[in-house]
Amino acid sequence: MLFAAFVVSLVVCFALGARRFLLGYPPASESRRHLAPREVALLGAATDAMFPSGGAVPVAGSDVDTPGYVDVWFGLLHPGKRLQVRLLLVLFEHATLFFWAPGPRGWRRFSSLSLQQRIEALRGWYASRSFVRRTVFTALRSVLGIAYLGHPTTMRHLQVAPYVIASPVLDADLLYPPIGRSLDEIAYTAADRTPASDGTPIDLAGPVDPRYAERPL
Amino acid sequence: MSVALRSAEELTAMRGRLRVFAEYDRDVHETAEVVVIGSGPAGAVVAYELAAAGRDVVLLEEGPPFTPGEYELEGGLSMAKTMRESGLRMTTGSIVPTMQAICLGGGSLVNSAICVRPPAWVFDAWSELFELRDTTRASLEPHFDAVGEMLGIAPTPEEVQGPRNLLFREACGVLGYSSEPIERNVRGCRGSGECFTGCRSRAKQSMDISYVPHALERGARVLTSVQVQQLVPDGNRIRGVTGQVVAPFTGKRSHAVRIDADIVVLAAGCMATPVLLQKSGNLANRSDQVGRNLQFHPGVAVAGVFPEPIDVQFGATQGFQSLEFLERGFKLESLWAPPAVVAVRTPGFGHELLEHFADIPRTATWDAICSTHRSLGTVRARRGRSLDPALRWHLHPEDVPLLRTALHTLAQMFFAAGAEQILPGVARMSPVLHSLEEAEALLSEAVAGRDLVTGGNHVFSTTRMHGRPESGVVDELGRCHDLDNLYIADTGIFPRCPSVNPMYTAMALARRQAHAIVDRL
Repeated sequence: MLFAAFVVSLVVCFALGARRFLLGYPPASESRRHLAPREVALLGAATDAMFPSGGAVPVAGSDVDTPGYVDVWFGLLHPGKRLQVRLLLVLFEHATLFFWAPGPRGWRRFSSLSLQQRIEALRGWYASRSFVRRTVFTALRSVLGIAYLGHPTTMRHLQVAPYVIASPVLDADLLYPPIGRSLDEIAYTAADRTPASDGTPIDLAGPVDPRYAERPL
Repeated sequence: MSVALRSAEELTAMRGRLRVFAEYDRDVHETAEVVVIGSGPAGAVVAYELAAAGRDVVLLEEGPPFTPGEYELEGGLSMAKTMRESGLRMTTGSIVPTMQAICLGGGSLVNSAICVRPPAWVFDAWSELFELRDTTRASLEPHFDAVGEMLGIAPTPEEVQGPRNLLFREACGVLGYSSEPIERNVRGCRGSGECFTGCRSRAKQSMDISYVPHALERGARVLTSVQVQQLVPDGNRIRGVTGQVVAPFTGKRSHAVRIDADIVVLAAGCMATPVLLQKSGNLANRSDQVGRNLQFHPGVAVAGVFPEPIDVQFGATQGFQSLEFLERGFKLESLWAPPAVVAVRTPGFGHELLEHFADIPRTATWDAICSTHRSLGTVRARRGRSLDPALRWHLHPEDVPLLRTALHTLAQMFFAAGAEQILPGVARMSPVLHSLEEAEALLSEAVAGRDLVTGGNHVFSTTRMHGRPESGVVDELGRCHDLDNLYIADTGIFPRCPSVNPMYTAMALARRQAHAIVDRL
């Protein structure tokens, strides 16, 4: 009898755990190569709360596709660091089990909370008396901040979008191929060389690099 | 050194001596007189000087060469591509982020190109404390001069300073502090402020476009995408090194590499060199100093918001400095970094955070690098195959007042230059200060070490030189006390922090070392 109760409890715990940790997320998007749906949901929810609309920068977190940036970033990340960032996301998503957000059902996972509850949950981390909690918050804010500020729209609004700069073609450019390519695939020949930079200051009225130029959100 | 155009034939010959990842189709086994591990500023200088002297040199680099088309223009992706551990390396103990580049040219590709000769008293202290009688400023002058000529080291021109840097000069002027344009290894700076993400103007004379091509021209072989994993000992000598070809970014290992050499020069950086020694059977460690004495120049920074936009994007990344307080323990600099990097230390969240971001066009950031001689740490190899170091470091409580004073000095400067408010980046105090009176709180003893946001980008002393073999790993010429033919040429050999940006000193010491090796061969 005791054993049966134990097994039933185990099954119930497992089912509840699976429901909390794995189920109920939107389906995976094919455009995300590295992020799981639960990570996309957490990043989106946290970005909305970290960079709400109506702020002093007229670009809301929801405008800048933070999950898209983080997905690309994950592709470049050192495996150990990628794991650490993943654990950070899991921690934030489920820390509401221990640090309830104010309001009804504040124990739900972070991405399921209302916007106001998410803001209050973040405030709890930011203003915590615990050095560890504040440090963890800073880590999340850094991840989201890098994605937010690295977006072309944000950079244009903040007047920090990179300008077009034509790189001179030097001897070194005749030595190195693009990364991953062979020496036969070097883009230039000796005839392509140009004079080195003469120190003319960049043109502050000049065009923005095409990767950061105006385009639809 | 003038940079004359090379002929097509010369360039073809140089390419023949360069190997990139796509070129490896079998295991590599080569021999050389000297193998140099690491193509950062010190390694590149050693390789060039030896090749120029007619020696047979192989230069190994784990990272790939970057071309301007591959530079990421914003901070996050750029660091993920060019830095070890994707730029997210941290110490334990006192938590400090620190970085190490992984690319041809090492840190010179992504640093601010600052070249400062330490004052004579720095070397005098080294000499006295570590029994280094021949390492004086005067004895190193010829090496500084030669490196300076090669790299076009010169003060940052006025026309590319931009408002951020000129406000720093103005602040120093108001307060009566000395200041000067920073000398950098740059030719033709356009003031794009892109030093940290790769200079698209090709003005910064990073090693990949300066010393490495010159080394290739003089006959050195350069093998990129090679991760050295072990030194091969043979009695009190090193026979060579073994490793593997690794793919750029993923680090996926493929062909085996073995280089046999008469002399091995480790220039893998202060955080990697001790790991290699430890992974190779705890070599060169009779003194028990390998991996010990880890020091940083902890950097603290203050952001100041001015009444009007200041064209933050324009101007040399770091164009002005003040050595006014160097003997008291800190050096002041102007600074620009991609907003994504600066944002890490911006306070608040939600609307408060966005208000600070909205001020970016009016915000300048200045920093201080501090000589915290009491704050030490260790570098240890991790278990398994990883060559990433385990770093532990503690900010000593007696060094905290120095950081507080540096922060307060920066605050004074901002208000002297007309800033409306400053963001000191100190936990447990107001994130925004509006006056010098409010900034007095920065000097309070209530500000603890863990409240400060510090960075540790200059790293030293993990294989320090010392006149006595029982107290150091290498002698004054970088030669290991314990091993006859193993040299170390990176900032790990600094016996303690040099109080100024270390690249120039590392290159001068490397040049001296290369000449000593030539004399020996």
